[in-house]
Amino acid sequence: GDLGPFNPGLPVEVPVWLAINLKQRQKCRLIPPEWMDVEKLEEIRDQERKEDTFTPMPSPYYMELTKLLLNYASDNIPRADEIRTLVKDTWDTRMAKLRLSADSFVRQQEAHAKLDNLTLMEINTIGTFLTQALDHMYKLRANLQPAASNDSQDF
Amino acid sequence: DSDEGSEELVLTPLQLICSLEQAWLNEKFAPELLESKPEIIECVVEQLDHMEANLKRAKKGDLKVSVHRMEIERIRYVLSSYLRCRLVKIEKFFPHVLEKEKSRAKGEPSILSPEEFAFAKEYMANTETYLKNVALKHMPPNLQKVALLKSVPKPNLDSFVFLRVLKRQENILVEPETDEQREYTIDLEEGSQHLIRYKTIAPLVASGAVQLI
Repeated sequence: GDLGPFNPGLPVEVPVWLAINLKQRQKCRLIPPEWMDVEKLEEIRDQERKEDTFTPMPSPYYMELTKLLLNYASDNIPRADEIRTLVKDTWDTRMAKLRLSADSFVRQQEAHAKLDNLTLMEINTIGTFLTQALDHMYKLRANLQPAASNDSQDF
Repeated sequence: DSDEGSEELVLTPLQLICSLEQAWLNEKFAPELLESKPEIIECVVEQLDHMEANLKRAKKGDLKVSVHRMEIERIRYVLSSYLRCRLVKIEKFFPHVLEKEKSRAKGEPSILSPEEFAFAKEYMANTETYLKNVALKHMPPNLQKVALLKSVPKPNLDSFVFLRVLKRQENILVEPETDEQREYTIDLEEGSQHLIRYKTIAPLVASGAVQLI
């Protein structure tokens, strides 16, 4: 992609990987995203705790950004520790909801689910486990019925 | 959209990298080997060579050179991961992959590049020779053949996958899991995310209407 122009003293938008790299080489200062602010995150955390369903997150990469920025640029982020705690609380609430809904998905043998407000990090944390569990359930159920197919193949 | 199979697809570098990432993710999460994308691979390799050449010439400030070098490494990683993912699947499902390629209709796109096809054939021949020399030739004469197509497991197209909708789809049929359930249809809104069996949406992955995540 295209980057820059890089003028000293003027803020410029770059991809996260570049920002982290430049910060590590002490060539820049990072400006946190708007939502990475204590009041905003408190609101988000409370909203998430109130609702049964998943609330939309301020960024599809909120977890990754928080981790990276707090690890490499915490000196550029005001009240970093509080932010870390708030994001973790929100994450924990969402993961608890996710575990519940994954459990009911498998139990009730659903065929389809809509997961709009989930971020990729959450999906991938539980994704492999969930799809493998569903595969096992499928194999177990298929073995209950008389062999319908002519190939007696294991997956 | 220009899906005419034209060789001269003009994409900006950004679009090219996006297509590569799309193909990479789809290949990663799909249970079967997907269509081969020779145009994308060729263009990416060309792009990488071009960038390398530029880097050799430009001996200016440290910053520009190191940034471009990082970019090249990132793209190279995605490309290798994509190709490696395909090779893993080829080795895992080799008799089925070869069978599918052999019985392919004229107009249908290929799932193997010429190099991958040669690799698969060689892998099959080597496996057959190995099995023969290690075990089969010591078996009684009527048991000396092994039907690879039957013995090697097929890809499980019924596995569940996560996807994001790129182009709105209507009336996708969801089949029931149990006998008590009935089938129903759903609409896939652009930008929404779903968990569903691969089999149902396989054609949508091939057409680029959905992205596996």
